[in-house]
Amino acid sequence: MMVIFVELDRCLACRNCERVCSFQEAGGFKREDSNIWVQVDLAKRSIFTMTCLQCETALCLEVCPTKGLVRDPKTNAVVVDEAACVGCKMCVAACPFGNIHFENKRQVAAKCNLCNGDPQCVKNCMSGALHFGDINDLAAIKRQHTDKKLIPKAFPNREKSKNGH
Amino acid sequence: MDIKTIKQNGVIHTLCRMCDTRCAIDVHLKNGVMADITPFEGHPINQGKMCPRGSAAIDQFYHINRIHKPLKKQPDGTFTEISRRQAFDEIAEKIDLLRQSHGARSIGVWKGEGVGFLQQEEYARRFVHALGSPNYFSNDSACYNGRYLGHSLVTGFWNAFPEFSTADLILLFGTNPPMCHPPFMREFADARQSGAKLVVIDPRLNPIACYADIYAQPYPGTDGALGWGLIRHLIETKNYDSELVERYSIGFEQIARYAKRFTPQYVEEQSGIFSEVVVDIAEMIIKYSPRMSIFAGTGLEHYENGVNNVRTLASLSCLCGALDIGCGLFWPEEMERRKLTIYDEVSLLNQKPIGADKFAALYDLRKECHSMSAMDYMLGKGEYPLKGLIVTGANPAVTNPNTHKVEKAFSNLDLLVVNDFFLTPTAKLAHYVLPAASFLERSELHFFPKHQMVNLTQKVAEIEGVKNDYLLWHDLAHRLGFGDTYFPWENEEDVMQWILEPSGIRLEDLHDHPEGLVYKPIQYKKYKTRPLPTPSGKIEFASAYLKKFGLSEIPEYIPPYHIRQKSKDFPFTLTTGARKSLFYHSRHQNIARFRTVHPKAEVEIRPDDAADLGIKDNDVVRIVSEIGSLEIPAKIVRKSELRRGVIEIYHGWEEWRVNSVTPDNINDPISGFPLLKGIPVRIERI
Repeated sequence: MMVIFVELDRCLACRNCERVCSFQEAGGFKREDSNIWVQVDLAKRSIFTMTCLQCETALCLEVCPTKGLVRDPKTNAVVVDEAACVGCKMCVAACPFGNIHFENKRQVAAKCNLCNGDPQCVKNCMSGALHFGDINDLAAIKRQHTDKKLIPKAFPNREKSKNGH
Repeated sequence: MDIKTIKQNGVIHTLCRMCDTRCAIDVHLKNGVMADITPFEGHPINQGKMCPRGSAAIDQFYHINRIHKPLKKQPDGTFTEISRRQAFDEIAEKIDLLRQSHGARSIGVWKGEGVGFLQQEEYARRFVHALGSPNYFSNDSACYNGRYLGHSLVTGFWNAFPEFSTADLILLFGTNPPMCHPPFMREFADARQSGAKLVVIDPRLNPIACYADIYAQPYPGTDGALGWGLIRHLIETKNYDSELVERYSIGFEQIARYAKRFTPQYVEEQSGIFSEVVVDIAEMIIKYSPRMSIFAGTGLEHYENGVNNVRTLASLSCLCGALDIGCGLFWPEEMERRKLTIYDEVSLLNQKPIGADKFAALYDLRKECHSMSAMDYMLGKGEYPLKGLIVTGANPAVTNPNTHKVEKAFSNLDLLVVNDFFLTPTAKLAHYVLPAASFLERSELHFFPKHQMVNLTQKVAEIEGVKNDYLLWHDLAHRLGFGDTYFPWENEEDVMQWILEPSGIRLEDLHDHPEGLVYKPIQYKKYKTRPLPTPSGKIEFASAYLKKFGLSEIPEYIPPYHIRQKSKDFPFTLTTGARKSLFYHSRHQNIARFRTVHPKAEVEIRPDDAADLGIKDNDVVRIVSEIGSLEIPAKIVRKSELRRGVIEIYHGWEEWRVNSVTPDNINDPISGFPLLKGIPVRIERI
């Protein structure tokens, strides 16, 4: 199953993803319209970026009384059916991560729908922190980088050979 | 308004110029309308990504406030549309009159960031020099030149974009790349994921500091002290590149002697960075030399000791051995090409270029006049009067220091012509406003020294009556009698053929390669086989060239003005110029969706400083300096973001011009740069 995942150690908090997303959603750059969030805590010096991971057992979908949230057969994303949503907000309460929110103008639930299989946030992530793929790709990427960091330590002589300078 | 796109439907590959990073983009045309801009895949600069500024090029192009016809100011101060022919005839006539009555040097040209660099810059230089005036001014007077000089004086060159991705240690001084150079982010992330360390030195805590191994917050303007402290540590522990020093440098003994006083304790006293942290950074440098990127941002230039602080860091890079390697001080080779500048053909120095007396190195190395001094010449306080000025893509009424003086000076001109997209505060002062063409309306050459690549941008559309900058200079030159000699080419295509000829690269080749062409394969460590482009051919830790002008031979450290001139009247230190992600200096404020992110100006202030003054978030306060005052809402930031007593204001706001409080008369003696950071101010409640 394809999901959007974040390589947290590549995110520098430029917030491009938030803007691209809110532009898709509402034609503007308001942060509250975005379905991806870059959280920066300057006091703790931390950056944490997240969006919906399209849970296999999605609590938002389970709790919805009106089928206002449905599984898109094509992308497997949990998407909002705005005609069916009654604005009860239970999905917002149900999501353990805060990855679904309430859209105040239209009075419906709002969440990431994977842009129909072509997520714009991923396309425009300048640092390459966002990916669209199988979640196990994230594990593979992490393993790869662990390699890169460990090899110079385990075999210091090999380090000299990179790029020839 | 009659707009013609180059074709009705399809995609055009070109480069974005909404900032000077110049990412490769695809402009999508649908039924003769620019419908979308998406990143172009396969260009090394942005590798298939782009930022929101890029797509807003469409908003700019179709903007309802864009100027499409020449405007002439009427006696009552309003503007009336006139034909291009009338505008050019009248402007040329007025230039000619000034030339006859006050000499050609009474006319200047001012090129701004909005129009770009390279051939656009060369046209402007060529025009004013062919006219017989040495007075070329540009935005570089307050950005770029300081770092260019700081690096060139040490190594003879400067490459503004190192290859961070291959560094093992990245040291960033006074820069916020996610905002000002978005593609750097990928490089940092690549380097970090390969195990590289990152050190961020900045008086303002930006999110990139969250990403750093060490973040240190110096007192504004004290980077040089840290630089010298690091140099001292390397020399004392004999951990510098001794081969490079012995065979390829001069002046080492002098800096070794001078560095002695910069003990970690002294650096702490000067910069506020803990002495242990100074040693930690120095030890990291030793561990990771030579594969390091020491990057000085614009933050360093805007002090009266800016060039020397940059020289100190360039010297540090050399001591680490990071000379002419990809991640370090890479020495890019230029393409074999013709240049449009005519320095050899006309005699300029005897015409007394404005500022060349006070800032000889600036004029000598950049052939550029001092824009702050120009105000005095416009106000009749110079050696001779500056009466006429043609400004293209620049907005000095917002971005030059001492706004009040700039406005007074510009209002005193007999002829002010402003070529721009919009009626900016500068354009409002003009006698004639000309409609400028954006980057989507021209085809031009771009160079990427880091990749030794050349690119050709593609014209996407044209608006009836809106002509590109080449035609601005061309049409004026022909009216003034030097067109046939200096602007004989009918259009930009012909100019580019001429520029490219010695390179062996043809325009058609560039048309076929939107991903750019490498004009010369990259070679490293060239200094081993050929002399560096400094006067001595070596790294110059000490510069006899500067000594000749009576300037400091080694990059001495001088504590910044706000520390030297501590005063009870102005207890706060104002820094300006920290970038906003969607604006570019004074550009893009009129793009509606950008304003939802940055709706208004604010002065960033710490909670404890605000509490002392009884200021709450969003209260409008008055910032007062020796120069003037500014009323602006306060934004209370986190304690960690700034040092006690330091406040920050963005520099590009048209409605809240921070330059009303910045001084134009406190300058770096080498670059002439104004003090745009570290300004003593007080904050008044209203």
